[in-house]
Amino acid sequence: MTAITADAPISGTGRRVMRLARYIGVPLFVVAVCTAMYVYVQGQELDSIEGRIINAPNIQGAAVEQIQISLWATLLTLVVAVPLGIALTRPWARRVTPYIIAIANAGQGIPAIGLLFIIYVLWVRNGARATILGMAVYAVLPVLRGTMVGLQQVDAGVVKAARGMGMSKRAVLGRVEMPLAVPILLTGVRTALVLTVATSVLAAFIGGGTFGGFITSGFAQSRPLAVAVGSVGAAALAVMADWIGGIAEDFLRPKGL
Amino acid sequence: MTQGEPMIRLDELTKRYPGQEAPAVDAVDLDIPEGEIVILVGPSGCGKTTTLEMINRLIEPTSGRIFLQGEDVTHVDADQLRRRMGYVIQQIGLFPHQTIAQNIATVPRMLDWDSTRISNRVDELLDLVGLDPERYRDRFPKEMSGGQRQRVGVARAMAADPPVMLMDEPFGATDPITRERLQNEFLHIQEDIRKTIVFVTHDIDEAIKMGDRIAILQEGSRIAQYDTPENILSDPADEFVEQFLGSGIVLKRLNLTRITDIDVAVAEWPTVAVDTDVDAARRALREADQSHLLLLDGDRRPQRWIGMRDLEHHRELSSAGTAVEATIDQRATLNDALQEMLVSANGVAVVVDRSGAYTGTVDLDTVTAAIREMRTAAVQRDRAQVSSERDPA
Amino acid sequence: MSVADYLARRWDTVLELTIEHLIAVALAIGIATVLGVLLAVLVYRSDRSVALSLVSINVLFTVPALAFFSILVILVGLGWTSAITVLAIYALLPIVRNTITGLREVDPAIVRAATGMGMSRWARLFRVELPLAYPVIMSGIRVSTVLIVGIATIGAYVAGPGLGAELFGGLAALGTARAPAQITVGTGAVVLVALLLDAVLALITRVTTPRGLR
Repeated sequence: MTAITADAPISGTGRRVMRLARYIGVPLFVVAVCTAMYVYVQGQELDSIEGRIINAPNIQGAAVEQIQISLWATLLTLVVAVPLGIALTRPWARRVTPYIIAIANAGQGIPAIGLLFIIYVLWVRNGARATILGMAVYAVLPVLRGTMVGLQQVDAGVVKAARGMGMSKRAVLGRVEMPLAVPILLTGVRTALVLTVATSVLAAFIGGGTFGGFITSGFAQSRPLAVAVGSVGAAALAVMADWIGGIAEDFLRPKGL
Repeated sequence: MTQGEPMIRLDELTKRYPGQEAPAVDAVDLDIPEGEIVILVGPSGCGKTTTLEMINRLIEPTSGRIFLQGEDVTHVDADQLRRRMGYVIQQIGLFPHQTIAQNIATVPRMLDWDSTRISNRVDELLDLVGLDPERYRDRFPKEMSGGQRQRVGVARAMAADPPVMLMDEPFGATDPITRERLQNEFLHIQEDIRKTIVFVTHDIDEAIKMGDRIAILQEGSRIAQYDTPENILSDPADEFVEQFLGSGIVLKRLNLTRITDIDVAVAEWPTVAVDTDVDAARRALREADQSHLLLLDGDRRPQRWIGMRDLEHHRELSSAGTAVEATIDQRATLNDALQEMLVSANGVAVVVDRSGAYTGTVDLDTVTAAIREMRTAAVQRDRAQVSSERDPA
Repeated sequence: MSVADYLARRWDTVLELTIEHLIAVALAIGIATVLGVLLAVLVYRSDRSVALSLVSINVLFTVPALAFFSILVILVGLGWTSAITVLAIYALLPIVRNTITGLREVDPAIVRAATGMGMSRWARLFRVELPLAYPVIMSGIRVSTVLIVGIATIGAYVAGPGLGAELFGGLAALGTARAPAQITVGTGAVVLVALLLDAVLALITRVTTPRGLR
């Protein structure tokens, strides 16, 4: 659930369509689906079990839980991955860099729930906290890799010119490298956000609530409607998180890049 | 196709792009005779490449017609049409994922030739463009130099033996030395195969060197002058053509005269074979009453200039004297010869044929004599023209 | 219970699940590759179509796996079909994106030369553009493969195939001695499957890429 691949090269008209579709089309679609779901549920007679699961406070609670968990996990991820990424691209770490990137690549294969369950079972028995920790660990690797690759890509010639003009190493980092690497970093932030929102759903398995809870309860009690509501809710949150991330990425990008 | 009919005829060919006032190509009428190299030359943006690309309909004309071998091909199936023409572009466009042999075989494969015929043709063409088939057949483009790739590009275009070749700055992406070599070799090949070639370039010198006929184009691909290089140089149609030809028109005309066209001094410099002994060499030099001998190897390729003094110091001819630096192909122009002469130690350029064997020498006197002849002929022509204007008898 | 003990006792089940996992992933990747390349080939020339396709697939991609599996199960039922459908959908994005990029980044001079020689559009696509885009396409397939190896584990919750069963089984057995070992073995096996498939695909890519492109 990460945007890992290269951006397809598209010219002017294509970009405009893409932007239009993304900024307006996507949220419209989400709103449409949610409204449809809402209307449908309202029109149904909910039996007692369904009533206990599907109600406004629960939905609100689930949404809040999911957002909270995601934000904490994202914060944790960024706090760890970005400084680490910066540190590992400094000259003194150059020898270690390829190994770290290799590990980061290999780490892509770790299943999210595997990580979650291990942390939960072996370490933190609190559903929400284990999820935050698990999601953070899961997201650290992609964001770390993105940060490192982004900083490495900063044109070596530009850095050389900056040093040649007398900028200190720290100034070069702060005034040249970081700004140039911002687009990559933003993608990393967006990735972390999307990853965590999407996988926070899994908190349900370990008692962490969120919309996943609707799904698990729904399956446990054989109430497909609850499952559907939970799925739509989770999906809506995830897609909107990606949408916000995309807009942030586009607007926070420094002009000229 | 009837006798005398042009191989390609462009009839009021026009290309108009939407949103642009002036057409990129404005009603061009052009006849391209069979077996000739016709150059489309002009400043950047004049529409020469657009015109070329309408001949094989990579760009579809807005109006007008194209005739190939008397047949109106303006609306026939474009893919089929293109398989009847060879096409060479500046960036070459070899397929990197295929071997040289596979690249060259592209059009024959599309025409369903059988594999033996294709294989033979590939070898034949590699030979023709000067690449050893054994060595290069299974190589990949990235393993070859720019000049080699250009040759493969030309071979690929000739693979199905099309009557027509379209070439768009084919030698443009190489360094001047390689370019000159490629131009000379191409002219050699053309001597044998005599294809009809439409050639686009922005370099007037290349146009003069390569073209049997030149079309100097202005904006909208309007033809300022369409004639042989000699006629254009001696009689530019208007100020635009003059400006385009640039200064040094006389020197440019040196580009037209090939060494084979003038009497190359063969007997002047005495030659000895490499296995001659020193005494015999000394005798030959004294008899010839010249300052130097020219040493040739077993294949009659020039090796060294040897003077009398060198013979006194050395027992072995192969190490005596100075190595020959300035050799020039006999198809090269006087302009090329002049440049080689300036480089050589004794102001003499040694002329060799296609296999590198010695055929004669050219020096400054030869060139000066040639220029004098051209001037005399031009003056006589002017006088004749003036007198015919005065009394049109 | 240690991991070794657990493996000693249940290695046959673990092996069976691993094979299931591999088969499911292979099927899903196969379907996604065929559909993805097909879609990319149909839209890559038009900027608008490319933009629309990518945005749409991206939306599907963003939906959390559990939600997607659940929806499909409600519609289609438990089991392999739903699981593999979902996996194939997730695998689409990297493959479509990379195929489009690969096709669009073919050197325009090569395309021009091919057209000028009289190659029809389809001949050009199959003999020139796709072969040249091949390395990028394979890269997309690799990314997709590693991705859905992980996602497949969630599918076990809705009776999908694979090693996810070990993970959920271990969670259900929470409190017993075997729970930690089971979960660890499950996770480890999934990681190994991901690494194995990635390595195999890398090898295949290397071997099948024509020498001229390396």
